[in-house]
Amino acid sequence: MTEKVLSAADANFEKSLARLFDFLRIPSISTDATFAHECEKAAQWVATELTALGFHAEVRKTPGRPMVVAHYTPKATARKVPHVLFYGHYDVQPVDPVDLWNTPPFEPTRKKDADGVERMYGRGTADDKGQLMTFVEAARAWVDATGGLPIKATFLIEGEEESGSPSLIPFLKANKAELSCDAAFVCDTNMWDAMTPAITTRLRGLVHEEITVTGPRIDLHSGMYGGAAMNPIRVLTKVLAALHDKNGKVAIPGFYDGVGPISTATRKQWNSLKFSEKKFMSEVGLATPAGEKGKSVLEQIWARPTAEVNGIWGGYTGAGTKTVLPSKAHAKLTFRLVGKQNPEKILKAFQKFAKGLIPKDCKLEFSGHGGGAPASEISEDNLFIRKSAAALKAEFKREPVLLGSGGSIPIVRNFKDILGMDSVLVGFGLHDDAIHSPNEKYNLSSYKRGIRSWVRIMGALAE
Amino acid sequence: MSAVAAVLKHIDEHLQASVDRLFELIRIPSVGTDPRFDAHCRKAASWTAKELETLGFSTSLHETTGQPVVIGKYSPEGTSPHTPHILFYGHYDVQPADPVDLWHSPPFEPEIRRGKDGKPQIFGRGACDDKGQFMTFIGACKAWLCVHGKLPFRLTVLIEGDEEGDTSHLDRFLVDNKGEVAADVAFICDTEMWEDKTPSINTFLRGCVADEVVITGPRIDLHSGYYGGPAVNPIKVLSRILASIHDKNGKVTIPGFYDGMEPIPAGTRKEWAKLKFNHKQFLGDVGLGIPAGEMGFTALEQIWARPTAEVNGILGGYSGAGVKTVIPAKAMAKLTFRLVSGQNPIKVRNAFRKFVRSQLPADCNVSFVTQGGASSGVSVSTDSPYVKAARSALAAEWGKPPVMSGSGGSIPVVESFKRHLKMDSLLVGFGRETDSVHSPNEKYDLESFHKGMRSWARIIAELNG
Repeated sequence: MTEKVLSAADANFEKSLARLFDFLRIPSISTDATFAHECEKAAQWVATELTALGFHAEVRKTPGRPMVVAHYTPKATARKVPHVLFYGHYDVQPVDPVDLWNTPPFEPTRKKDADGVERMYGRGTADDKGQLMTFVEAARAWVDATGGLPIKATFLIEGEEESGSPSLIPFLKANKAELSCDAAFVCDTNMWDAMTPAITTRLRGLVHEEITVTGPRIDLHSGMYGGAAMNPIRVLTKVLAALHDKNGKVAIPGFYDGVGPISTATRKQWNSLKFSEKKFMSEVGLATPAGEKGKSVLEQIWARPTAEVNGIWGGYTGAGTKTVLPSKAHAKLTFRLVGKQNPEKILKAFQKFAKGLIPKDCKLEFSGHGGGAPASEISEDNLFIRKSAAALKAEFKREPVLLGSGGSIPIVRNFKDILGMDSVLVGFGLHDDAIHSPNEKYNLSSYKRGIRSWVRIMGALAE
Repeated sequence: MSAVAAVLKHIDEHLQASVDRLFELIRIPSVGTDPRFDAHCRKAASWTAKELETLGFSTSLHETTGQPVVIGKYSPEGTSPHTPHILFYGHYDVQPADPVDLWHSPPFEPEIRRGKDGKPQIFGRGACDDKGQFMTFIGACKAWLCVHGKLPFRLTVLIEGDEEGDTSHLDRFLVDNKGEVAADVAFICDTEMWEDKTPSINTFLRGCVADEVVITGPRIDLHSGYYGGPAVNPIKVLSRILASIHDKNGKVTIPGFYDGMEPIPAGTRKEWAKLKFNHKQFLGDVGLGIPAGEMGFTALEQIWARPTAEVNGILGGYSGAGVKTVIPAKAMAKLTFRLVSGQNPIKVRNAFRKFVRSQLPADCNVSFVTQGGASSGVSVSTDSPYVKAARSALAAEWGKPPVMSGSGGSIPVVESFKRHLKMDSLLVGFGRETDSVHSPNEKYDLESFHKGMRSWARIIAELNG
């Protein structure tokens, strides 16, 4: 049956492209209030498309830009089909500096470039209108070819992703029952390369802390007290210097509790990626990986936790000299977490560690806001991952790479925490798509194979 | 009435006028290290020159590579080549006032308030360091001249504006103007008393050399998620280097740091031990308790006669409100090294730079920004007639013999006078350790100002023979 749907998708590709271009012409910039009306227009446009496909679609008001929520329930089938949520966002980044665009940002342009690759240029082509339309057009292909979708689907398309999603958490909380599904699919990430699909399965967690060391009650003259008075900068640097051992391992006792090794299969796959450590490092002016010895760069950023100092300040930092022995020194730290590391425990372990390094007459204060988020990791054995991976392999004739991401994607955390739902991150962007920059683009092949991939994934989920 | 008694009486009776003049000077925010205050520095210099003119001095404002230098010259009638010639030195520049929000009264609006001990104190930046202090000498001269018409010595007054900043400016000025400033001895009023009621003469002074170190890692600030792990973090590198400067016994680990140093003479150690210096109180006053310097030395020795390596400031990455998940491209620190007699400041700075370079990991670069001047530590002979005169004058004024003390702070000019002009210095000052010089709420006890003027009057009387 899937083959039939794929043929329908291919046959309608030009129309799919034309529809996307209509969508791209709406300048739905969320961060700029003067475009609020355009955002409403874009939301309405999505709702209308989904309604035409047999969804029950609504544009829901929020204190900011509206949400599109659409539900599809297939005709009664003998088998129980899964219910999945598709997430995307219709809002786009601002376009300035406009004069650096080769074509007007809201007049999407299809172009065969000198390398023979066909691309579409325009704001939102990749982030995220082009990507979210791969869902919509895949759904259309199923409707065209078989009269309906093979699964129960909910679409949640928001309009504030580029402005920090202020309405999202309250919205998820207020509509918990309605939006809770078996899994979420998010189409807002990249492929490994133009030929190799990817599923992002690991996102590092994050917890932060701010530490203040107080020595003398007031700033002191470094001549009159220097020698006898303890210098809090010295104390703070001793704490920070002790964070890592000479092999780059974090030295806080208990820090690695809950950190497991990556599976042999994952290691093998990552090793086979031909990831150029040299290129990755040299792009930012570095050459030598500084993380844990014995771990590859990919492992260091995707699968190992870190303790980083994001800022440090204390004493006199203006022009010239001030011979002061400061009263206080401060640092901001973040810990990236993996596996089952518990943010609260990590903070406690760090605090205990720091306290152990402080001389008796210095004071230590912690002023982080607590909270933090553990890592989001989906097992490779997760049913939705396995089915998606198989579908992507069928489409690309290559095993999809199970990626990590050193950063965090808040929506994944929110879905898990509020709706109890894992997320499968499959996207068809490429690293040169220039999202957030002038001349954003999306390869036509990304769009086409994106649609085909979702056709296959929807089919696989129904089986 | 003896010669000095009349002068002391004059000082007592005109105290308010002297305070008023000092307030005028404190109101000028002459922060020497910040170019935005250059005009104020010039104003403070002019004010000082004018003040000296009212005493009948011939004054001049000298341009330097830094802030202008004020020179005032006085020769009594009937001056012969045998008339002693004294150089008095002070500085009109003050430390920056930040953090301003910790001041209880605006730093440049001086006022007298009662301190914790109930005694009146002058609050304001420069109240002690050094406007209040140098004005004690000027005030004493003024009173002496009012009462007796002439001073018993030739006098050159030199008030500079780069003491808190780059001291190399004055150093150059001294080299270029040797004839203008050479004298038999230099008097300096920029030091502290031993304790509330006990004066002191400083004979042991630490030198100082400063440096700024900048460590760079990645080309740009990085996202700590995408690069955290493989990207080297300059803050960590800097922290590791700074943390390694001291061993667990408080000793400086920089190779060559202690080279050339003279040990503290056994006699001096013994005399200082007798002072019953209460380090618990000294540190307790500033919220500390445990001497943090080299083990095996008393707190007093740690501040008077042992060298230090101190970080004065550190900065890197994000220091605003909230969180920014960044791996910064660079981190910097400012340091000063306090030196004692025998250590070579330039060699110490070079040793530090070598020490930093030797610990630099792959992918990091370091640059150093040379800061200010560099001065050696100095010890002053206690046998000079001037030291003897000051000893008896101070004993008479305070009712106790002065302590022959050390000073942890640097007065680079002492070294410059010695080096360029072969001149010894007499260091008498009336500051107290509670004065918060360089800190918010700097103050100078009214008693320090008043009895300071009286002390100088007595020293002048001693020299009058």
